[in-house]
Amino acid sequence: MDDLLQEFLAETTESLAVLDVELVRFERETSDATILSNIFRLMHTIKGTCGFLGLPRLGAVAHAGENILGKFRDGELDVTPRAVTLILRAIDQIRGLLAEMEVTGAEPAGSDDELIGEINALAGGTEAAAAEPVQVDVSGPCFTDDGFPVAAELLAEVAEALEQHNTAPIPPAPAPQAAAPVQALEPAPEPAPTAAPRESEAKDPATAASSIRVNVDVIENLMTLISELVLTRNQLLQTQRVQKDNEFKVPLQRLSHITSDLQDGVTRMRMQPIGNAWNKLPRIVRDLAVATGKKIELTMQGAETELDRQVLEMIKDPLTHMVRNSADHGIEDGVHRLAAGKPETGTIALNAYHESGHIFIRIADDGRGLDLERIRQKAITNGLATEAAIAGMSEQQILQFIFRPGFSTAEKVTSVSGRGVGMDVVRTNIERIGGTIELSSVAGRGTTFLIKIPLTLAIVSALIVEASRQRFAIPQLNVVELVGVSDRSEARIETINTSPVLRLRDRLLPLVSLRGVLGLEPCENRDRFVIVAQVGAHTFGIIVDRVFDTEEIVVKPVAPILRGTRFYVGNTILGDGSVIMILDPTGLSAAAGQIEAAEGQSGQGKAGAADAQSGDQASFLLFRTGGSELKAIPLELVSRIESLEAASIENVGGRHVVQYLQHLMPLVPFDDAHQWRESGKQETLVFSDNGRSMGLVVDEVVDIVRDRMAIELSSARPGLLGSAIIAGKAVDVVDVSHFLTQAFTDWFEITAMDRPLRQALLVDDSPFFRNLVAPLLASANWKVTTATDGVEALKLREHGHQFDVIISDIEMPNMDGLALAGAIRNDPRWSGVPLIALSSHATQDDMDAGHQAGFDQYVAKSDQAHLPENLARAVRAASARNQAEFELRRAS
Amino acid sequence: MSTRPLCLVVDDSRVIRRMATDILTGLGLRTAEAEHGLAAVEFCRKTVPDFVLLDWNMPEMDGISCLRALRAMELAPRPIVVMCTTENGMAKICEALAAGADEYIMKPYDREVMLDKLAQVGLMERA
Repeated sequence: MDDLLQEFLAETTESLAVLDVELVRFERETSDATILSNIFRLMHTIKGTCGFLGLPRLGAVAHAGENILGKFRDGELDVTPRAVTLILRAIDQIRGLLAEMEVTGAEPAGSDDELIGEINALAGGTEAAAAEPVQVDVSGPCFTDDGFPVAAELLAEVAEALEQHNTAPIPPAPAPQAAAPVQALEPAPEPAPTAAPRESEAKDPATAASSIRVNVDVIENLMTLISELVLTRNQLLQTQRVQKDNEFKVPLQRLSHITSDLQDGVTRMRMQPIGNAWNKLPRIVRDLAVATGKKIELTMQGAETELDRQVLEMIKDPLTHMVRNSADHGIEDGVHRLAAGKPETGTIALNAYHESGHIFIRIADDGRGLDLERIRQKAITNGLATEAAIAGMSEQQILQFIFRPGFSTAEKVTSVSGRGVGMDVVRTNIERIGGTIELSSVAGRGTTFLIKIPLTLAIVSALIVEASRQRFAIPQLNVVELVGVSDRSEARIETINTSPVLRLRDRLLPLVSLRGVLGLEPCENRDRFVIVAQVGAHTFGIIVDRVFDTEEIVVKPVAPILRGTRFYVGNTILGDGSVIMILDPTGLSAAAGQIEAAEGQSGQGKAGAADAQSGDQASFLLFRTGGSELKAIPLELVSRIESLEAASIENVGGRHVVQYLQHLMPLVPFDDAHQWRESGKQETLVFSDNGRSMGLVVDEVVDIVRDRMAIELSSARPGLLGSAIIAGKAVDVVDVSHFLTQAFTDWFEITAMDRPLRQALLVDDSPFFRNLVAPLLASANWKVTTATDGVEALKLREHGHQFDVIISDIEMPNMDGLALAGAIRNDPRWSGVPLIALSSHATQDDMDAGHQAGFDQYVAKSDQAHLPENLARAVRAASARNQAEFELRRAS
Repeated sequence: MSTRPLCLVVDDSRVIRRMATDILTGLGLRTAEAEHGLAAVEFCRKTVPDFVLLDWNMPEMDGISCLRALRAMELAPRPIVVMCTTENGMAKICEALAAGADEYIMKPYDREVMLDKLAQVGLMERA
């Protein structure tokens, strides 16, 4: 095909995509002249270009569209949904014609009179498909202006021509072609380009355009070549490591740097704004809204966020599907919305942003939410699960059914959604590119999907490890730290029931043995390593035999035969030429969290494992005490599990204590009816820090599981926070603070001294921690107000609230803790309030940053036992400071 | 030898820029491209073209504003500006001429029409 025509097809297709978006925007904001003039200009350009290329049929449709847009612009025609629909139809018609031209290389024969007739009828009734007479204002100041001789001559010519034939515009001409394209039924005159010989050498290179368009294949090939280059570079580096100090060392270093830069450059070349994948959406939502009679607004944020075009292609369809679902099934019609007390117009919000090497895309609607009951029914009817299994599932687990193959919640298949692609395809597509999708839904409030995908797929940095003499690569993005474990080292792998755990800085880390999950041959090796990895909010350890280097690896897709296993994302070739598998941390994380959880519901393994990736998750220690029902405690809070000799427990004045790490540790039973054993072992959960420990005696430690932190709060019984469904079982969640205060009565006394200061503000985005910390504070006589982020906290300031202490998380959306601290310190209203950081990150750097920002105290979340004490201390310190300031002022 | 006149083609359509460039280079001129008025003004700050073929409807900065900006820059030697658009109202032509355009060309044009215009503005001799 003529490459000029090719260019025209590409350019016009782009313009049409923009037109779709802009028209939908315009329909909402009809008063926005900028949008309208943009739309008009695009349509006008299409028409103009058609004129050049001799494409009368396309030109006629574009002209009709432009005509109606002109009437909008001049205020001669009201913007009605029907008029916009007609323009959209014209755009679709042009798009259809372009598609045919793409195949045949020529404008297809035929007529669009019907559509044009409809458009023109709307535009002005009487106006048929003929060119409108040119309206010329013959009067004007420029006729008397003789400053431009050529112009004057031209104008004279024009005036003369006008006198002769009233309709034709400028004389020299194929111009009537443009003015009356609709009637040009006879073959168009020879188009201009063929008449113009190409002499590209005549172009001056110095004046070439600053951006060029490159065929995607060229970039793809380049990327493949660079991948190979990276491999070769790695091979050379490997050789270099063996033979040190030869003359290749320096040039090899240079080569290495250049390769990295080149790789960055090409990766950037492949980046495209995500808005490209969103272009179609406003139109889809608009059409759906018109078809279903709903009012829907689509908001898009972060359209400029860039990602690899390969990734972009992969998520285009899933995104479209989800938005269509939201519009079709999620958003209710106006009547129902109003009845539910919601605004008549439903909102679908798209949001994209970069975070820690990933792109996050959020699709949220404020519709009716997913119908749990219907999902439950459907899962049973479709044989996806038994009634009994579903009865024991949490809401989250039930929601996950929508991702199962063959599942669709739509009661009847409408014309718009339910076209064969289901959420299972969406999830498969996203997971294929190493992404995850999370779902949350609140009945009557709406549904939110959060998609997390890697920036690029081609080359990643990975840690090479060995298990059973086989090497594997773990993506560096997921690796947090490495811990060497052996019988000699301080860190040791312990076992709780059958699950291996590692005590790491007062935390119990669930472990998964690579050899175990992959079913490799056992091998004698006493020195081992734990790779602390993070997937979403889940931190866990992977036990391996050896750790080598980190390498830039080229990800090759996993062979189809291995797709079924969830532990691999692909394979790669190392510098020494060997082929190794790339591990999928998501799959391993599921294995670490769900080792036993799927036991009761085998066959659910895969779905259950995938559940473990989603959401606000935590590891829980399950145990039994004072009855047969299961109890749970967040594993983070437990520092050790001990089997104490019953004989070593002493009774001192009615309190039970045990000699533990050179201290007397108080032991607290779950309830007073506890029968203390005379002999044998006593299972005890130890909560401790800085030499102060307390033991909660339990009957039996059952398991460690990982699940969502969905606690239903209730205060039915002292010592219980509430109940939750964890790993499909109903459990009671234990309130640690209750037992802490039992063990150390002086905590009451400390806080009792500060009675007059009792208002605490707790800022944390995690409902789990709010629910955990608030009762803890309440138990120490604090009146607690909560806020979910810095912005919300500052709103309270605006409303004149006063607090005696503010406890804030560091990492929060909208406004984080550091920014909040800054805002508090810089405004006199709250500047004197003691400020305590409560964070899951508590390295020295974190603490320094916290103090820098204005926090008085920094408390690690895992250090919960110290919280009441630290609070009391902070308040005392602050009130002392205030007192001192007061006296200073009085003295001066 | 760079005595051949330099033409700056200003149009938001790649297709039209290409076509104009083909015609102009075919007539033995050197060309440069700008995709809207602002880019044209930027270009002229660095290099003064002999001839500017200026579209009317463009994003960022439209042709008439660009024309005014170029004339306000008082470039030397003063480039010849030909406004080029499908806008066919006489008022538009007057507006362009008043703003400093030397000529006015209707879209779509072809090699012959362009040659005529170039001759009219004195850049070409009519064969």
